[in-house]
Amino acid sequence: MMLPRSGLNWMLVCVLVGGALSLPDFAFPQHTSSTREHAPFTASRSQTKAGISFADVTRAAGIDFHLTCGGPEKLYIMESMCGGIAVFDYDNDGWMDIFLVNGSTLEDMKAGKCHPSKLYHNNHDGTFTDVTAKSGINHCGWGFGVAVGDYDNDGNEDLYITYLDGAVLYRNNGDGTFTDVTAKAGVGNLGRWGTSAAFGDYDNDGYLDLYVANYVDLDLNHLPEFGQGPFCQYRGIAVSCGPRGLKGARDRLYHNNGDGTFTDVTEKLNIDPGSYYGLGLMWLDYDLDGCLDLYVADDSTPSMLYHGDCKGGFTEVGAQAGVAYSGDGREQAGMGIDSADYDNDGWPDIAKANFSDDTNNLYHNDHTGEFTDLAGPSNFGPVSIPFLGYGVKFLDLDNDGWQDILVADGHVNPQVDQHSFGVAYAERPLLFHNLKNGKFEEIGTRSGAAMSRRYVGRGAATADFFNDGQQDLLVSVLDGPPLLLRNTTRPKGHWLRIKTVGVRSNHDGFGARVQLKAGGLTQSAEVRANASFESASDPRLHFGLGSASQVESIVVHWPSGIVDRIGLQAADRQLIIEEGKGIVSAPQPKPAPPATGKMPSLRN
Amino acid sequence: MSMGKMLGRGRLRFAGSRACSLRSGLSLGESFLRLATVLALLLVLRAVAMSQDQRLPPLIREGQNAIDVGDFTRAAHAFEQARQLAPDSKEANRGLLLSYLQVGRLGEAEAIGQAAVAQWPKDADLPHWLGLVYFKRHRNYLAVSQLQRAESLDPSQYDVHFDLALVLLSDDQYSDAANDLEKAIKIDPKAALAHVLLGRAYQNTNRSLQAVEQFQTALRLDPNLPLGHYHLAFAYASLGRNDEAIAEYEKELLRSTNNPTVLYQLGHCQVEAGEWKSAIAHLKKATEIDPQNSDASYDLGKALLLQGDAETAVPPLRRAIELKPSNPSPHYQLARALDKLGNKEEAQREFETFSALKKAQPVTGGMAAGPVQ
Repeated sequence: MMLPRSGLNWMLVCVLVGGALSLPDFAFPQHTSSTREHAPFTASRSQTKAGISFADVTRAAGIDFHLTCGGPEKLYIMESMCGGIAVFDYDNDGWMDIFLVNGSTLEDMKAGKCHPSKLYHNNHDGTFTDVTAKSGINHCGWGFGVAVGDYDNDGNEDLYITYLDGAVLYRNNGDGTFTDVTAKAGVGNLGRWGTSAAFGDYDNDGYLDLYVANYVDLDLNHLPEFGQGPFCQYRGIAVSCGPRGLKGARDRLYHNNGDGTFTDVTEKLNIDPGSYYGLGLMWLDYDLDGCLDLYVADDSTPSMLYHGDCKGGFTEVGAQAGVAYSGDGREQAGMGIDSADYDNDGWPDIAKANFSDDTNNLYHNDHTGEFTDLAGPSNFGPVSIPFLGYGVKFLDLDNDGWQDILVADGHVNPQVDQHSFGVAYAERPLLFHNLKNGKFEEIGTRSGAAMSRRYVGRGAATADFFNDGQQDLLVSVLDGPPLLLRNTTRPKGHWLRIKTVGVRSNHDGFGARVQLKAGGLTQSAEVRANASFESASDPRLHFGLGSASQVESIVVHWPSGIVDRIGLQAADRQLIIEEGKGIVSAPQPKPAPPATGKMPSLRN
Repeated sequence: MSMGKMLGRGRLRFAGSRACSLRSGLSLGESFLRLATVLALLLVLRAVAMSQDQRLPPLIREGQNAIDVGDFTRAAHAFEQARQLAPDSKEANRGLLLSYLQVGRLGEAEAIGQAAVAQWPKDADLPHWLGLVYFKRHRNYLAVSQLQRAESLDPSQYDVHFDLALVLLSDDQYSDAANDLEKAIKIDPKAALAHVLLGRAYQNTNRSLQAVEQFQTALRLDPNLPLGHYHLAFAYASLGRNDEAIAEYEKELLRSTNNPTVLYQLGHCQVEAGEWKSAIAHLKKATEIDPQNSDASYDLGKALLLQGDAETAVPPLRRAIELKPSNPSPHYQLARALDKLGNKEEAQREFETFSALKKAQPVTGGMAAGPVQ
């Protein structure tokens, strides 16, 4: 005696059982605005644009840094959040140098053992030299983020480094050395765990102010125990605790007094009253009113957009502007952020990297003070679902005049590798090529071997390290060496690089907006160093010009209100534009040779 | 078990009685008389047994025939009679268990099943069917236990693996279900339905690429598989492959033009992909067919807002709120729509409602984004 094939046909079950399986739950799985089933870690299936490629030149360039950040099991939340990197020209020789922030371990912290951060000087030949010892940058602590800015307008870029228990401001003496001026400046962020920090002149007084994102109020003597409690679980497995369940630390805003000191105006300006878990941040003028606004990506809590009123005050408008949540009003775990005008409509848009099981955001600027998350329609979001994004940077990969995007990925819990969750601890970076129609194509796996490998990526910065007219990448990797990725894209297209020098405005020209016309395309960009995740990038503006061998016009809107207009210029060089004077120099440094010849990277 | 064996057991029982009497030490005459009585009784019983022997097979056959044509009520009647004639008939008990299971007399099926499993512990069908009885009675823990017992008794049975997987799926035990479905498919690689279910199990264990493969296989095996394109589309959407998802949803829609769920999912996917005009058309239809679907109303409002039509977006968003007042998302979209329309005061109220509702919702971001498996 046999039953019909299968005791209970699955379609019949719904009828026979009448409730054991209900159609919406089982036969009809559904994606709704508030639910999503999850995708695995997948290789890209994109048909990539030929020619875009990056080569790993880290070892060949002489970068021997190893980022230490807790133990391999990541038992505590701070062990997953290191990775600050800064690209800046500390000696004003026209070549971008590198500063890499180091972390520590609990044991070494208690024992007073230091894991030094490192400063590398660019040798102009594709290699770098460790000059940390001479620089005087020697603070011993568990470091996280770094900001770059000339806070005293002396023409030298200064460094601000965040630590687990405070921060240090290093004044650049202009002779290759730095001096710790934290106490005098009053920006110690004492006892707070800072992550990203950024310089920006929010009141247009000509001096860079400083915002510090603080994450969690952590007591090292009473750390939450791994896996113990509802906020120490990920998909039912024990992991490090937080940030939910832990007390958030309030961000700080320091106003630059113009005399080498700062005033903490956090409470006065009602900054971060909810003490959200701050991670990524950047200054930008999103409504083009000439005053800097501030966007802060918070972990597991709403992100904040502070609209500057041009009088030194702020109004938080994140929800109204559509950038506090996902497109459906869901909180996200924001990590890194960056801004650029990806559709060349003249208005700055925002990219934000989020936790896995969620899409990254691409907030399109609607020109009305509001944004629309077009991550889905642009193809920037869906592919990111299994990836946990940290550093994010806009850059023009192939000098075609359209901003592409890099996202450095890597999970926070190594324990995920022991399960079939579809997410992995080490993940490959995502590289999005701009298709010039509002859409992107993810081309990471076909942009060189280094881009296809998996890392536990954190900070990400862009720079033309080799002054060859192509934007390169620097990515920090948790518990490992960083990645210096040289852009080897061919053909590379024409380009123009602009360095701004403020006079009435801050010396860096941070916040200056530059419009450039070439080859029938108008590009807009804002001068900024600090964005992404805990990182600072090459502040020089890089414009890809495609086949255009000259630039028709350049307009610079300075924070002071001064506007410089510049006519026809030849391509493929750097212009130094000084506020009120226009072009003051057009040096053409000889590009560095390829650094992959004698010392091929083991990664390749 | 055959009828002959069953009668043999009866004879043994009687022999045992005689042996017991022989040990009592009575006189020869008394003993003879008693022996004659016992023999007479035995003859009567044998006659009765022979009568049962003749009546039972037709009843069993009738029951089997009824099952074959799906008439489980008639089957139950036949097996009830058979069991009355021979309470220890394995065939009668099996038939009755199966018939009761199918006609929904679950309490009686459970009682018979429990006894039968105890009485014939090596019969793999009995725990299989008892497991299904438990499943229908929403006692999945017991169902799984019985089905696993059946599986261990006879691992070569496709049906047992399939049914066990089904129960596990209904309990959201996707990994275990996937294991059983993989076993079932090894036995019968051409079982399209098993491929679909395996795809669903993979889907829910974050193996969407493998899910896609299973759904594609299922559709190759049976192009007319109900919901085949729907499942494939769903998997594509999970992978962020919206274009392919939309194409599959459209195929599914060709087969079920007015299915509001398919219309909604297609519209939802098109909203995600930025195909707002098509999304609006499908979502409008979905809300017309199923006016109670708050998600469809919400997505319709969202699509209209994204298209730049804030004024038209307001009614469906209000409808979504009416249908599911505790959902913060429609309040968020409505606030944004009202803000765009210049109605700042009401927009602010909606933002406040949204914020208040969010506080009452489970957390979604960061580590909370990953569902517990």
